[in-house]
Amino acid sequence: MSMKYVDEYRDADIGQVLAGEILAAVEPGRHYKVMEVCGGHTHSIYKYGVDDLLPENVELVHGPGCPVCVIPMGRVDDGIAVAREDNVIFTCFGDMMRIPGSESTLQDAKAQGADIRMVYSPLDALRIAKSEPDRQVVFYAIGFETTAPSTALTLKRAKAEGIKNFSVMCSHVTIVPPLRALLESPDLRLDGFVGPGHVCTVVGARPFEFIPADYGKPVVVSGFEPVDILQSILMILRQIQDGRCEVENQYKRIVPYEGSTAALKVMEEVFELRAHFEWRGLGFISQSGLKLSEAYADFDTEQRYEVPHVRVADPKACQCGEVLKGVIKPWECKVFGTACTPERPIGTCMVSSEGACAAYYNYGRFAREREVV
Amino acid sequence: MLVEVVDADRGLALCVGEDGGKSSVEIALIDAVCPGDTLLVHAGTALLRIEAVAA
Repeated sequence: MSMKYVDEYRDADIGQVLAGEILAAVEPGRHYKVMEVCGGHTHSIYKYGVDDLLPENVELVHGPGCPVCVIPMGRVDDGIAVAREDNVIFTCFGDMMRIPGSESTLQDAKAQGADIRMVYSPLDALRIAKSEPDRQVVFYAIGFETTAPSTALTLKRAKAEGIKNFSVMCSHVTIVPPLRALLESPDLRLDGFVGPGHVCTVVGARPFEFIPADYGKPVVVSGFEPVDILQSILMILRQIQDGRCEVENQYKRIVPYEGSTAALKVMEEVFELRAHFEWRGLGFISQSGLKLSEAYADFDTEQRYEVPHVRVADPKACQCGEVLKGVIKPWECKVFGTACTPERPIGTCMVSSEGACAAYYNYGRFAREREVV
Repeated sequence: MLVEVVDADRGLALCVGEDGGKSSVEIALIDAVCPGDTLLVHAGTALLRIEAVAA
């Protein structure tokens, strides 16, 4: 069965044509650095070998848009502390279970007896709360603006139905502040951004207009199939070639430029910005994390339980911070593929399938890159 | 995901994914969801209705 909006965006012939157009759009002798913001793009790039179709002077740099990768160790420890509380059922997405905290993972805590359950959605967690009215059910919420509306709707549902034994440990983050932090960083010179298509279904493309306006870099909001990504890279290079600098939307078949008014409204009702939030490898970034608003304070896990809030430094060997900032490639990390593997990750970038290290490792980039070295 | 059954009173739809797996999806963000619609679903919530036609 063929499928509209899928097959044509995985078509190898179209990919080759775009690769030729990209080659024609670059100036020989100039090096181009393009950041794909979203971990979903990183995954697709290595799954489909998009980078193999690019000229040598077009370099893809992996951005911070992987929800699991940006969770700091201290925040994992906070989750484990709550999961070990009496009578708690702690729920989270599967990837969260394997993120190393300072001493163990949630998976380890589960093996030691804590009642920790993997769920696919906050609604699943609420369902558990309804079926176990004598237990306290905590949902550990992570993710960018793509996931936050789901948590918000579940909280609205819990409030409307008067469910008292459900709470949310909110670690949702927003994508614009870390991008601004990266653009302010002296470590990195970027020529353009492949914009995060799914985040833009919620926030729209407008929040990214500061990148061309304030920093003079093009942004192209992109879909996730290989042809989407190639076309977006071409659109960025054409902007540079033409001396233009703006936000363009390659993913018009899905993303309305204004985003989803309904999703933004429910997020505004349920969340408010934290003054600061710690990002793995990026440190504290102001107004970059979400917490529950006053109207939903009764559902805030951090108000129900003592949460340690201890800041834990990353292990010395781990270079996730540099990977998340695009300063080094995954394979340039000292422990990549040796001490740190998807089976036994040291760093968060090796945990999620959207993490740059896991994407490199799982799609055989490791061997190829080492041969080049 | 493809909508199979809509429960408008509860704001939920039973949807089937590409792998054949079924799950309940929040549809509060989408107007007038009908069986046969294709929705972009993230973490159990439909963010958008999309046109996707099997041919």
